[in-house]
Amino acid sequence: MTHSLHRFGSIESQKNDFVWLMHQAKGINDKNIKDKALQFIAIAEKAGSENWGDIKTGNKLNHDIEEIKNKVTDKSRLRGVFTKRKQIVEFLKELKEEDLGMSVVISGLLDEVLIVCKESNVIPHTINFSLGVWGKKELLPEENVLAITSMCGHHMIASNIVKEKIKEVKNGTKSPEDAAYELAILCPCGIFNQVRAAEILKG
Amino acid sequence: MPVVNKELCTGCWSCIPYCPVSALKKNKDETRACIDQDICTKCNVCIRNKVCPFEAIEEQPYDDFQSEFQHVMSDPTVTVAGTDDPGRGTEEMKTNDVTGRFKKNEFGICIDMGRPGIGCKLREAEKVAMAVVKAGVKLERPEKTPLAKIMTDLKTGKLRDDLLDANVLSIIIEGKCSIENIADVLKALKKAEKQIDTVFCLGIVARVDEKGDTPLYNTLKKLNIPKPFRGKVNVGLGRPLVED
Repeated sequence: MTHSLHRFGSIESQKNDFVWLMHQAKGINDKNIKDKALQFIAIAEKAGSENWGDIKTGNKLNHDIEEIKNKVTDKSRLRGVFTKRKQIVEFLKELKEEDLGMSVVISGLLDEVLIVCKESNVIPHTINFSLGVWGKKELLPEENVLAITSMCGHHMIASNIVKEKIKEVKNGTKSPEDAAYELAILCPCGIFNQVRAAEILKG
Repeated sequence: MPVVNKELCTGCWSCIPYCPVSALKKNKDETRACIDQDICTKCNVCIRNKVCPFEAIEEQPYDDFQSEFQHVMSDPTVTVAGTDDPGRGTEEMKTNDVTGRFKKNEFGICIDMGRPGIGCKLREAEKVAMAVVKAGVKLERPEKTPLAKIMTDLKTGKLRDDLLDANVLSIIIEGKCSIENIADVLKALKKAEKQIDTVFCLGIVARVDEKGDTPLYNTLKKLNIPKPFRGKVNVGLGRPLVED
C-alpha cells in the first residue's frame, strides 16, 4: 500500500512532514512482535511523534495510548508522523541502536529524508518514488483541500468535510487546531499530520 | 453495507460532507438522506465515525461477493485473507530489506487507481493493467496483492467481467519490470491516462545506492517526466537483511 507516499501541497509545507511506518514481513519476522512493537512505540513517543496509531485500533488522538498498546498483535500496522527533522533523526538513531529487526520506512520529501538518513547513519535500501497523479486531474479538488485530504492516504477524509472546516476557520467559529483535530480523528492509522493541517487551514 | 434507516433520519444533512465519494445524498423529495449504492465504495467512514447524530446510518450484512470485495478494498481497517494486510494494502517495498522482493535489476510498479480520493470503477483498473502488461510488466500474484485475486488472467491483466462496474475508493495494480522495459511501461501509462475516467498515483520502486540514486532518473529525463521529489524510503533496518 502506498498511502503515505503521494502527498500534495507546497514544498514548503511538506518540509515538516515525515511519515514513519513499522512493518513486519509475512513469514519472516511477523511472529510474537508485541514486545518489539511496544519498544518501537516507546522510541517514537520519546522522539515526539505528534500522531501515531495502529490501523487495527485507531490513532492516539482519539484513543487511549494504553489501549492501542494493549491491542497490538502480530497483525498490527504501526504508523505515525513527525513534524521536525531532528525528531526523526533521533528516532532513527535509536531504532538503529536498539536493532529491533522490523522494517522501517520513512515517507517525505526526498531531499529531506535522504539528509535524515545521512544524519542518522542509516542506509537507504529501497525507495518507492512518487511520480504524482496521472489521468483525469480535473476531477481533483483545489490544492489546499488536496494537501489536507492526501494526508490520509486511504482517503477517509472527504474533500467536502475539509471545505467545511476551511469555512469554519475562516468565519472564526473554529480554531485551525480544533478543525485539524476533527479531521485527524477520521484517519484511523495515525499518519495524518494535524500540525501541518492546522497551518494549511490558517490559509 | 451502509444504509440509511428512514425512520431515524431527520434530514439534518450533517452526514453528507463526510462521504469521500459523495454517495451520501438527499433523497428525491429532499426529506431524508440516502446512499447511492452504485457510487458507495463501502469504505464505512460514515459508520466508523458515527457521522449521523441520530444513528440512522446502519450496517447491513454483505450479501454478495462484489459488495464484500468493495468493502475490503475501501476500508483500510479490514485485513485481506491471503496477503494478511489491511485493506488494499500490501507489503510492497516496505519489507524489501528482508524479503528481497524487488531486486537491483528490476523496478516495481505501484499504480494506485482512484487515488487521491476520487475512486474508480474496476473497468478503469483493467484498462491500465492490460496496458502495462502489454508493455512488459509482470503482475504480482494473488498471495501478494488483492487485485490479482479477481484477475482471470495475470498474463493479460483481464478482470472478472461481473466486477467491472464495482466502484472502489482505490485499488493497486502491482507488478515488476526489467530496467530495460521501464521506458515502454511509462510510455504505455502516458497513453492509458488519456483513456480513463479517473486518476491514478504512480509509484516506481527501485533499489538505490547509499545516496538514494537510481538509473530510473535517466529514463525519466529522456521521457521528459519530472524528477520525483517525494519518496518512501526503506532505511534497511529490517532483519535478517536480505542478501543480494
